[in-house]
Formats: sequence, structure tokens, C-alpha cells
Amino acid sequence: MHPDQATLSSGQRLALSAASFLLMATSIMALGPLIAGSGWWWLCAFVAAGVLFGGAGLRALRVRGGLVPVLEAVLLLMLLTLLFGASTSLLLLIPMPDTFALFGELITGAQRTIAQQSVPAVTVPALSFALALGVGVLSILLDVLVQVARRPAFAAVPVIVPLLIPGFIVESGIGLPIVVVVAASYLLLLRVDVRVNRRARIEQRRDDGIATVTAPLRVPVASTLGASLGVAAVGILAASMLAVSTPSISTSLLLGTGSQSTLFARGVSPFIDLGRDLRRPEARPAFRYLARDGDRPYFTLLTLDRFEGDVWSVADRPVDGDNTVDELGSPAGLGPDVATSEHPIDVLVNEVRTTWLPVPYPSTRIDGLQGSWFWDDESLTVRSADTNTAGQRYEVTRLAVEPTVEQLRSAGAAAAAAQVDARYLELPEEMPEIIGTTAANLAAGTGSSYDTAVAIQAYLRSPDFDYSTEAPVDGGYDGGGFEVIASFLEQKQGYCVHFASTMAVLAREAGIPSRISIGYTSGTPTTDRVDGVQRVQVDSHDLHAWPELYFSGVGWVPFEPTPGRGSVPEYSRPGAGQSPTSVLPTGPASTAVPTGRPDLDPDRGLAGQAGDPLSNSAPMQAGVLLLGVVLLLSIPAIVRALQRAGRRRRIIRGGAPADAAWQEFAATAIDLGIGVPAGTPRAVASAVAARPAFHEAEARAAMLRLRDAVERSRFGPDGAGRSDLEARAGLLRDLGAVRRAMLRDVTARDRAAATLLPRSLVERVARVPGVRAGGGA
Amino acid sequence: MTTAPDAAGEASAMLIDEVGSLAARVVGNVETVIAGKREAITAALTVVLAEGHLLIEDVPGVGKTMLAKALARSLGSSISRIQFTPDLLPSDVTGVSVFDQASRRFEFKRGPVFANIVIGDEINRASPKTQAALLECMEERQVTADGTTYLLELPFTVIATQNPVEMEGTYPLPEAQRDRFMARVSMGYPASADELAMLSTRETSSPLDRLEQVVEVEQLRRMIAAVQHVFTSQPVKEYAVELARATRDDRQLRLGASPRATLQLIRAAKAHAAMHGRDFVLPDDVDALAVPVLAHRLVPTSRAVGTHDRDSGPLIDAIVRRIVADTPVPVGSARRN
Repeated sequence: MHPDQATLSSGQRLALSAASFLLMATSIMALGPLIAGSGWWWLCAFVAAGVLFGGAGLRALRVRGGLVPVLEAVLLLMLLTLLFGASTSLLLLIPMPDTFALFGELITGAQRTIAQQSVPAVTVPALSFALALGVGVLSILLDVLVQVARRPAFAAVPVIVPLLIPGFIVESGIGLPIVVVVAASYLLLLRVDVRVNRRARIEQRRDDGIATVTAPLRVPVASTLGASLGVAAVGILAASMLAVSTPSISTSLLLGTGSQSTLFARGVSPFIDLGRDLRRPEARPAFRYLARDGDRPYFTLLTLDRFEGDVWSVADRPVDGDNTVDELGSPAGLGPDVATSEHPIDVLVNEVRTTWLPVPYPSTRIDGLQGSWFWDDESLTVRSADTNTAGQRYEVTRLAVEPTVEQLRSAGAAAAAAQVDARYLELPEEMPEIIGTTAANLAAGTGSSYDTAVAIQAYLRSPDFDYSTEAPVDGGYDGGGFEVIASFLEQKQGYCVHFASTMAVLAREAGIPSRISIGYTSGTPTTDRVDGVQRVQVDSHDLHAWPELYFSGVGWVPFEPTPGRGSVPEYSRPGAGQSPTSVLPTGPASTAVPTGRPDLDPDRGLAGQAGDPLSNSAPMQAGVLLLGVVLLLSIPAIVRALQRAGRRRRIIRGGAPADAAWQEFAATAIDLGIGVPAGTPRAVASAVAARPAFHEAEARAAMLRLRDAVERSRFGPDGAGRSDLEARAGLLRDLGAVRRAMLRDVTARDRAAATLLPRSLVERVARVPGVRAGGGA
Repeated sequence: MTTAPDAAGEASAMLIDEVGSLAARVVGNVETVIAGKREAITAALTVVLAEGHLLIEDVPGVGKTMLAKALARSLGSSISRIQFTPDLLPSDVTGVSVFDQASRRFEFKRGPVFANIVIGDEINRASPKTQAALLECMEERQVTADGTTYLLELPFTVIATQNPVEMEGTYPLPEAQRDRFMARVSMGYPASADELAMLSTRETSSPLDRLEQVVEVEQLRRMIAAVQHVFTSQPVKEYAVELARATRDDRQLRLGASPRATLQLIRAAKAHAAMHGRDFVLPDDVDALAVPVLAHRLVPTSRAVGTHDRDSGPLIDAIVRRIVADTPVPVGSARRN
């Protein structure tokens, strides 16, 4: 405990705990934009309350101060056990080894879900667990700072964590109202601390039966409150600036939908980025390619194979260091009797920046890449461990797989299920009824898996379904979860994500292994010709998602259920077996196939106006971010500088110049880590005089003059002492000399620390009456 | 130590500086005789300047009398010494009226108490009646004999010594009488080096013979007058009151400091400030004098003594130091102009 602080009663500690809880509960509200629903907030508030009030209870039971945080950690563990691991625990509260194993799984699951979910995230148990754990740990930290260290000003540190996260993830950042509410809670905590301290000090003296002498006890409430308000005002200002600037920050730098064209970099759901990119008014160039034989394939970036009911995600597989791209693995399940042909394609990536390489599936080899790239065993997608796609120029050899309808039709469902991993067929147990009935209707009367697949594709491409990137935007519709699929099947409006995920789910329901590939359609030919072959430009509007189904003997086969996008593979057209030459199925949208460029958004012009100002301002946004960070970091320095200027003003013009000079001297000494005992100026001076800085006669004399002046000002017969101009100038001169001497005395690191993190802002010694470290004249 | 010239009065400020330098010279002078006892010497001089009386309590042979004598000689004041014994009568202290055959009247023969500095050696050996006579002189600064009142010449300071170890046949001063001494100091044994040095200097003659007079009596009076003009701010007064209250309410003390103690604490603090060339009192002055001024007036509870041996001196000193450390230091004058 700080020597300045009086011992608190349990009631006063409870008041501090309540203020801490309020601060924690309001600050986690800032996570609102990231997480769907409100149940998670109640959970977090419950955990924070359990930890903070549990701590207060422990203190009321007179548990030793340093032990309380440890017991709070135990309490947190018990709470987590109760909430998440009750089935594996002893008496619902005591964790057993199985509980810890479960927690480990939950943490892994949380990492996965955080990396792969879209915002607002659905609160799966793993995410709830991570939230509860995080809030619990932050609460313990808060409690340590407020109750054990008695430094409530530092409570801002744990609280800033939930405040900052949204700014990095969602476009809008956190709302200003929440910042204001949190700042108000913070001020309240500081206020409670000041009041509680003052009361405690007075009461403590009453306990001893001593009549209180109020004059020396008077806590300078006004100045404390003033300082708190100052700090808070600067904090709110900086936070507001950050909040205002976060949209641009998140758009351009972090989510990569700005001109940098970073894709899927931040681990938010790929679907979200895909939706956002498709809605972008202007297409951004992604890459160009040249296929000398006129081949126009889809390019796969990544493949989603895990479906957990709410989100599609990539199964976590470590990179295999042996899988270098000079020779890719053979595609899974491809039988020897299926016709294949190789097509070399030259690719030049211009702007898109992602760790996933756009390659056609399947490919056999890639040449000319910079950096380390590895292919995935199952999906043959290519990922970099150390670089990204920007500026890459490479030649990829695509293996065109051309199965016949007979080959596909003869593939048995059972054989397919036996060949692939179970997760390609995995569906959560509870799912909306409409999915099951739709799948059953489509599968009825079909003779094989292939026919079912063709029926599903035909159904989705039927005129009933409309391609639209606009309708689903609100309400978290950007996704492939059950809820989304069910409402998609009802509304029959959506874009590739919905078509692809719906087909994949319906296929799994019908017993066909499925996965979703995300990448680019074949792009638009340009006027640029090389050897008579058109170069093809692929841009952000070509981003696409499509399902791939597994057939034994053939392997993974792409389908195209999205009307108006891409091209429908030959083998997947209804009646392909009977008349191989027939063209596309019926449907108005299918006429758009040649360009693959659907009319995206009727309100494109409007969106363009909103989006444009951000488009080319990445350096400026980086500047704003940098400025915000610098401003945030320099708050203590600014507050200290203002304080110093204020004291200098008081020295020059104020009523108690010597007092101001002495306060500034003590504050400087504290800043520089020169120990200053609480006590009279004489005690302080004799302690500080031992420092090497004051071995020099001049500095020592200056310091002693400052001391004499403040003593005369405080206790002398004529109150403020000499306050003529000459005396004031002398004080400034002495203060300067003393400061220079002290600066010479410490290391450069101490000087930097004194400037950036002035300790005197939190260690108030000079004016607050306190208990002395050592008396004596 | 410097002080700025003061608008309140040029003469007083000059004198304060002079008080400081003279005091330093006196302390230095006495120190040539009693090495390594600066604290006790300073306390003794403080008491003289504050017009109080000093009680030196220590084992025999550590220089109690030497201190008193050296101080008196340095201050150029008249000095008398009374060796208290059980059979000493009050009139042996104050003086006696003798019938003068020639003038056929009673004539008052002044006792040893008529001096600027009176050394009362082993005051606890005298009978309570004799002690009371001396203590009355100390308080009233006058002697009344046969209906006539004789004023004592100022400055008047009694430096009494007391042996705390030898208890048989002694009459230790009761609490009420100890209260009349402004301060009590202990000499303590000298450091080995000081003791060694003493052996060589005192081999042949008493160093007192060579001791110079530093101050004239008239100067001493002006010093005392200057001390009276030292300013005490309200916060410092409140601080002294607060310290006294703390001793009265302390759990380890049966008897706390009297209002007279508070008064004397402030007086001593004024002298202490003046000796440091300051015309105002600091809380630090009060702190420095809390133990010598307060400790001998306090009586610990039997429970507090229980763990200590009979000599409760160190215990009370520790209690006073604790009280001083626990009492908040005043921030300063509330006045802002």
C-alpha cells in the first residue's frame, strides 16, 4: 500500500469494487459491434461481478491484501468451471483434469472461431469461454491496480483493451457514446477513490479518539479533481479522435479492403470480405493471366471444409514443409481413367495482397514464385509462410479434369463417403427444417449422387432465385450459416456465398461430400494481346465462391449454382449425358455467363460516393493512425507539460510562487526516479541532497534556496514571503539550475521515462499531507 | 543558512542572523570540552535561550556537570553549583536571613540559586522539601524569604542532573515536578575515539580553564529577546497541539503531555529556529525537540513497560518518535496572498 493511503474499511473497499465493476461492465459494452446478441454481455458482467465482488468479500473476511488476487484467480477458475465445465467437474465448481482438457479445447476452438467468424460473431461456447476468461483476467488486473496497488488512475490500462479491439476489426469502431460512458465510469472510480481516501483518513483518526484537526488534513479535492478532469478530457479527446479515424484505419490497413487489396488477412470470415468486395463500387484489379491455349479456369484461393452450423471455416492443418510448389500433389480421388490435360498459365499479380495464391484446382506445378509457398495436402491450395501475393509473377500448370457423365454417375455415395474425411459430410444435428425438406425434394427420383447434384444446381439456377448483393447486406446476412441458408431458401435472393453454401449443405444432406472454394472466376479479356492471345484481367468483382462435390473415381468436381456468375461446367448441365452439345440450362441469368459480370448493385453510384474518399488515402489514414497512437502515448507527457507550465505561471504571477516552485521541484525529482520521501520540505531536501546531483555546490545552494523559500512561504511570518519580481525570477532560476543538475544525474533512459511517463502524475507527495518517511530537521 | 531581509523589522532580522552565528560558536566552544555530544549541547543551549530548565539524566561520570559548567562559562553568565544531599535544607538553596548585629536588622544572605545558571547536581538525592524549594524558584523566578520577595536575575536556568541507576536513598522527582523542566537529555557514553582524545587532553589540566567566553550576558539577553520574537504560524501551533493530544490518547501512555508541555515545546522550537538563523518556526523544529521536551513528562502504562526493564526511558523515546511519525505534517499556512 502506498504510504499516502489510509487503511480502508470493508465498506469503503466495497465502494471501490463497485466502481471498478461499473467501469469493467461499461467497457466490455464496447465489444458490442463484434458480437451478436446481448447474452455474452450478461455473462461477462457476471464473471466480472464474481471476481470483483468476490475480492471485496475476501477483503471483508480480512484476507491479506496480496493473497486476494490469487484467490480471485481461483474464484475465476471456479466460475469458469461452473459455466463451461460443470459436467466434468467435481460438485460443479471444482475443476478436474478433464475440465482443463475441456478448457484447452475451448481455447483452441476460440482461436479458430475468432480467426474465422464474421462480425458480429455468433457466441459459440468457445467464444463465450474466451470472453469470460478475458474479462475475468482483466477484472483481476483491475482489482490489483485499484485495491492492492491503490493506483486507480492505472485502471485505464485494463479497460482500454476492450475499447481498442473493435477499432481494429469493424469499420465503424466503437460508438462515441460508449467512450463517453466508459470515461464517466473511470472518472467516477477516481472520484470514489479520492472520497474514500479522505474519509478513511479522517475516520482512522476518530477511531483513535483524537479530535480531528481539519486544517492540516484538508485534502486538496479541487486540485485532485481538476487533474483527474484534465487527464480524462485529454483521454476522451484522443479516444474520440481514434474512434472517428478507426473506420478508415480498419478499412485500409487492417481488413485490407482498401486500395492495398489485402484479402483474408485478418482472419475475419472470408465470406465477409467476399461480400464486401463484391459490393465495392469500383473493381480493383487483382491479377492478369495469359493462357496461350485460351484456357479460362477458375482460380482458387482457399477451400472451406468445416461447417459448424454457424460458420464455414478452414480446418486447421499445419503447413507441411515438404510440400514445395515445384511439384504439387496429385488431386484427391482422381482415377486413372478420367481424361486430363495440362494447361500452362502465366499469372502476374498486380495489387491483390494475400497469403493465399490464386491457382486453378487442380494444378501440378508452379514456377517463378518469390518466397516460401506450400501446398495443402487435401485442397491443393497454396499458401505462403513468409510473403504474400503482391507483385508475384508465376507460371502455373493447370491439370484440366474432364470426367464423363457416366464416370460421375457411376460413382457411389458410399464409396465417396469412405474415401474422404468425415468432416466433408458433417452437418450439425439441429438444422432448420427447410433445408432437410428441400434436399429430400431434390434428391427424390434421382438415380445417383451425380443426378442429385445436378438437380440441386438446376434448382438454384432456376428463375426463382435472384442474384443480388444488395438484399442480404443488413442483419449479418453475409455468411453461410444455417439461419442464413434457411432465409435464403425462403427469400430466394442472395449472391455466390449463399448459393455456394446452400448447395454445399444440400449436397451433404444428400450424402455427397462437399466443400466451398473461394477464389476468382475466369475474369475479363483485355485488348492487350500476346502472340495473338488475349491477356485476361481478373479484378475484385470476380471474387467468387463455389461448391465442390466429391465423386469417387473422379475426386473434387466444381459446380456453379450461382446464376449469372462464372461458367457452368460441361458435365454438370442437366441432360449432359444425353446430349453433350446442349447449351446452358434455362434461366435468364445464365445468359450472363460469357462475361461473368452480373449487374451487381443498383445503388452502386451512391455507394461509390460514400466509398470514394477512402479509396486513395491510405497514407493519410496511416498518418491519422500514427498521430492517434502518438497522441495517446504522449498524453502523460502533455499533461505533465501543462502542469509544469501552470506552475511556472504561478511562480511568475501566482499567489504562492515558492509553493509552486517547490511542487515542481519535487515532481521533477519523482519523475526522474529520485526518491522523494513524503514530508516537510526540509525532510525532502535532506533526502534529495544526498544524490550526486547535489554534491555540486551551486545546485545544492539553489535547492536549499528553493527550500527556504517554500518554508518561509508556508510557515513564515509574512505568509507568501518575498513575492517581488526579483524573488520570482530567482525562484525560476533556482528551479532551472536544480532541474539541470538532476537531469545530469540520471541516465538517458530515466530522462526519457520522465518525459513520457512522468511518475509524479500518480505519485502525489508534495502537497498531500502524509505520513512522513522520516522526520527530523 | 540565509534569510531574506524582512519587511517586518530590520533589527530583528539582523539579530536572528547573529543569534544563529553566536549559537553556533557557543556550541562549537562547548564541544571542545565535551567531544561528540553536539545533540546534548544544542539541547542545553536551546533550553537556555528558551528560558527553560534542563534535566540531564544519566549515569555518573559522563560529563553532565562538565556540560553545564562549559555552557555557563561560554555564555559568560554567573554560575553556581549545588550538590544535593539528603540533609540539604531549602534555605541552603534559596538563602537565609541573618541578624546583623551592626545594623540590628535581619539581612538576607542570598543562596546559590542567585545565579544565571544553577547546576543542581544529583537533584534526586535531596529531600522532597528541598526539591520543592528549588522547583518553586524555577517556576516563579523569585525567592520569597521572611515576607520579602527577591527577583532572580535573568537569564535564569537550572541545569539539574539526576542519576537514574542509583535508586537507594534517593527521591526521584515526581511527575508534576519533572514537568517543570523544559527538556531532558541524556549524555550517553562517548564514542571510543572521543574518549581516547579526552584521555590525552585532560591528562594535565582541566580543559575548563582554557575555555573562552563567547557571549556577554547582555548579548545573551538580547538573544533571548530575539527568540521571543520568533514567529510561529498557525499550522505549526496546531501541529504541536496535535502532538500533545496524540500523547494523551496513546494506548501505551498512562500520562500524556500537559498544556505546559505544549507551551514549552513551542518555546523550545522558537529557540531552535533562532539558533538556525530563522525567524519562524518549522514543523521540523517541533519534530527535533519532541523527544527531549516531551519524553520525560510521559508515563507509560504498566502493560507497555511490562516487556521492558525498569528503565523506561528508551521505551518512551520510541513512543514519542512513533507519535511524531504518525502525526501528519502540516502543509502550510492556509493564507494565500
